[in-house]
Amino acid sequence: MPVLEALLPRVLAVRRIPGADPALLRAYGADPERHRSLGLITVDQDDPTYVALDEATKHARVDVVYARSFYAGSKHQSGPLSGEILGVIASDDPSEIDSALDAILQTLAHDACFYGANADSSIAVFPHVIASLGHYLSAQAGLRPGEPMAYLVAPPLEGTLALDFALKSADVRLLKAFPPPTETNFTAAWLAGDLPACEAAAMAYAEAVVDVARQPRDR
Amino acid sequence: MSLRPLSRTRDLVAQLRRQLGEDDPMPPRAPLPPVELPPQRVFPSPSRRSRLADLAAAHTTALVGIGSVGTRYATDVVLQFQAELAVAHGAVATELPEEWAVAQGYVSLGSRVTSHREFLLRPDLGRRLAPESAERWAATCRKEVDVQPILADGLSAVATQGAGPALMSAFIAECEKRGFSTGTPVCARHARVWLEDEIGELARAKVAVILLGERPGLGTGDGLSAYLVYGPKVGNTDGQRNMMSNIHNRGTPPVDAARRLAVMAQLMLEQKTSGVHLDLSPRAAELGEAARGGYRAPQVRTRLVEG
Amino acid sequence: MKLQATIRGVTYTFSSVREVLAKANPPKSGDDLAGLSAREPVERVAARATLAQLTLADLRANPVVPYELDELTRLVEDNLDEGAYAAVKHLTVGQFREWLLEPKTTGAVLRSVAPGLTPEMAAAACKLMSNLDLMVVGAKCEVVVRCNNTLGLAGTLSSRLQPNHPTDDVEGILYSAREGLSYGCGDAVIGINPATDTPESTAEILRAIHTLRTRNGIPTQQCVLSHVTVQMKALDLDCPMDLMFQSFSGTEAGNRAFGINVSLMDEAYDKMRRLKNSAGPNFMYFETGQGNALSSDAHHGADQVTLEARCYGFARRFKPFLVNTVVGFIGPEYLEDGPQITRAGLEDHFMGKLMGLPMGCDACFTYHAKMSQDELESLKVLLGAAGCTYLMSMPVGDDIMLNYQSTSFHDVPTVRSLVRKAPAPEFDAWLASVGISSGHTPGPRLGDVSVLR
Repeated sequence: MPVLEALLPRVLAVRRIPGADPALLRAYGADPERHRSLGLITVDQDDPTYVALDEATKHARVDVVYARSFYAGSKHQSGPLSGEILGVIASDDPSEIDSALDAILQTLAHDACFYGANADSSIAVFPHVIASLGHYLSAQAGLRPGEPMAYLVAPPLEGTLALDFALKSADVRLLKAFPPPTETNFTAAWLAGDLPACEAAAMAYAEAVVDVARQPRDR
Repeated sequence: MSLRPLSRTRDLVAQLRRQLGEDDPMPPRAPLPPVELPPQRVFPSPSRRSRLADLAAAHTTALVGIGSVGTRYATDVVLQFQAELAVAHGAVATELPEEWAVAQGYVSLGSRVTSHREFLLRPDLGRRLAPESAERWAATCRKEVDVQPILADGLSAVATQGAGPALMSAFIAECEKRGFSTGTPVCARHARVWLEDEIGELARAKVAVILLGERPGLGTGDGLSAYLVYGPKVGNTDGQRNMMSNIHNRGTPPVDAARRLAVMAQLMLEQKTSGVHLDLSPRAAELGEAARGGYRAPQVRTRLVEG
Repeated sequence: MKLQATIRGVTYTFSSVREVLAKANPPKSGDDLAGLSAREPVERVAARATLAQLTLADLRANPVVPYELDELTRLVEDNLDEGAYAAVKHLTVGQFREWLLEPKTTGAVLRSVAPGLTPEMAAAACKLMSNLDLMVVGAKCEVVVRCNNTLGLAGTLSSRLQPNHPTDDVEGILYSAREGLSYGCGDAVIGINPATDTPESTAEILRAIHTLRTRNGIPTQQCVLSHVTVQMKALDLDCPMDLMFQSFSGTEAGNRAFGINVSLMDEAYDKMRRLKNSAGPNFMYFETGQGNALSSDAHHGADQVTLEARCYGFARRFKPFLVNTVVGFIGPEYLEDGPQITRAGLEDHFMGKLMGLPMGCDACFTYHAKMSQDELESLKVLLGAAGCTYLMSMPVGDDIMLNYQSTSFHDVPTVRSLVRKAPAPEFDAWLASVGISSGHTPGPRLGDVSVLR
């Protein structure tokens, strides 16, 4: 395989609960006053799923009430349907859950994904540019819905070096850095700027990860 | 589901891939040292076969122990197989020359079939004589005979031209030895089994026997079959016939076949019936194998491609 | 009911549903032989246009052989599932074709409608379909059956091992059987066409295969394809019979030529149920093939595709484990060449599956048919892609007793890997345990008979 081929996420389980128990709603961060139905999804890649959950908030009246990555990632999952992340969306209307799940599945199938940074894709990079944030990630990032954001993920050293490269390559600012170890032992960063700047930064990030992968000891 | 605009990330990554000179969807070709010769896998012939093929050959002509290349055949096996197939197809495609029958001293008759393709597709036409043939046969043949022998092409003119005349002569001799009167020796072109009914009926024969080339198998095309019927008459069905197949040197040799066929004709003349109603047991010893319904004897597969 | 259609100002009128069905067929030498084919290509399309307008109710009301004349017609009519029939009876054949092709008409839906379909309905839809149409619908139908193992699961392709021998030499049969097993063949059945049709030889062959099977722990079933009456006698000899076999024709008269009728088959089924050696609820094996009714002059003026579907109407009564169309065996007077044999294989698979049967196909030709080895190999891949339940298998595809050319031991793992289908799961596990193959992937011991004891 040549480098920068898409590594497609696999959706492992998708279920809905049309009328969830109030106690369950509360336990997963939903509000029984406003939420009645839940949608659940597990996927073998966490970051594309965060992007997909956020995307869903733009197309359906849902809130992302719960989304957490699992320790050490999908290679150490607790079962074949666990993967790397559980995402939970909530709404007062089951049909909104359906629309939101459709949006999530489409984003995972055709948009957000990791890319291989070396020939056997054993090094993965996520240089994703969100053109227009939904209300889930915008709240986390401290931006307004509709603003662009670069969402960048790579293994520890590659990601650290690439972040420096990205910040210097375009007019962007660091919103949030997630130094290693995260749950999955990757490192991540969120950058703000206008859309062309976010795009330039993300591609610089990807290029830097490929470079490290090619020459890991070239000081 | 409505279409949603996607982010541009995948296009951007594709652009970056081009910039990095990584656009070729295949990685660089690995250098290749000279390829080692594959182990020899061959069509099993007596001089070259595996132990398994050797053991199996004592029991079956099925091609076992031929190995494989991945899941496919070795080249040698493919060529042998294609040669066997070509022999079978060649036997089917061969037509009996029109003048052959007369040259052999037979009366030459034709069915209603006018071409080889029609012969394969229209069994109904191959079961009846062409009007001209029927008229000529009715006018000239010996009548009121015990046995009417008929040679015909059937599905292998190669077999007919091969062992056909020898089988005819031997059969006629066996009949005469038993004191049966025999009809004018005749050879029919484009003939199906049931043509014996019309030929025998016109000769007012008690028994009609048609000897014809049988459907070729892989690598063979030289087998003859014989069908006998008591009271030949247009409209008879298969249940009224007896048959013997695999008449060739690897199965029942023509000389043996001729004797056994004459014994079957004798049983028909004695019992005045044929087919499912014929009791073969009174002469089971004379019939031997034939009493159990002829089937192909095991035969050695010959290597067709030399070297 | 309108039996006419107009094409470019010319009106074609037909006298019966039977004539419409026959003339709507793609060219087949057997229909030509019977004098039933359309006279020219436009008339064929006119027949199809007429057929497309008939409803499924019209077809039920007009079976190709009258109720009074034929016990198979009565069998189908008297046992039709009225609930399933009611769901589709109002559709025209044209609409029925489209409904079958709709993605939302899933395998589960097709399974529900199957018992409400008459053979004429399956045949009618077939005549309006192209080869790819037949494959698309065939691949959707999921017919799962269980005997000693489970056949027909999604993603599987099984095979019958056919180690025939011209003199029933048991050692010879075993050599071919072991060779076939070593190529991953035989999960549908190890089935032998005997040269000698006697109860004793049937029992002897069954015992030999049973021993091979049990000694090696191979989860499949054995069968000897002698006449059903012979197998019934063999059952009295206390032999291990897993499947009971019989050839079927599409009319009562055709079956008479085969020496069977419905009540004989009922009796055979009942005896087999009591005395069989196998485990599962499906234990019958039937073979059919376009043209067999005409060959015994029992076709009643009906075309060979519709008559073939009527075989399936008969077969479904017995919840068979295997149904096999021996598609090119009968000779060029019924199926002349590669295109006709290919078409017939896909037609029969589609019609059988639609009627709820586990259809396999003996993709084959006799040496006087106009079909090449390459065309035959292509048909096997088409059948694999169309979800065919099983193919045959024999050494280099050469049946040394019946003298015809079919699927080889090598072809089965080849098609499996090309269309990415695995053997029956129980058999797959055995193959993996001895290293012959795993799923659709050949293993290190492929073709190595030393893995067998």
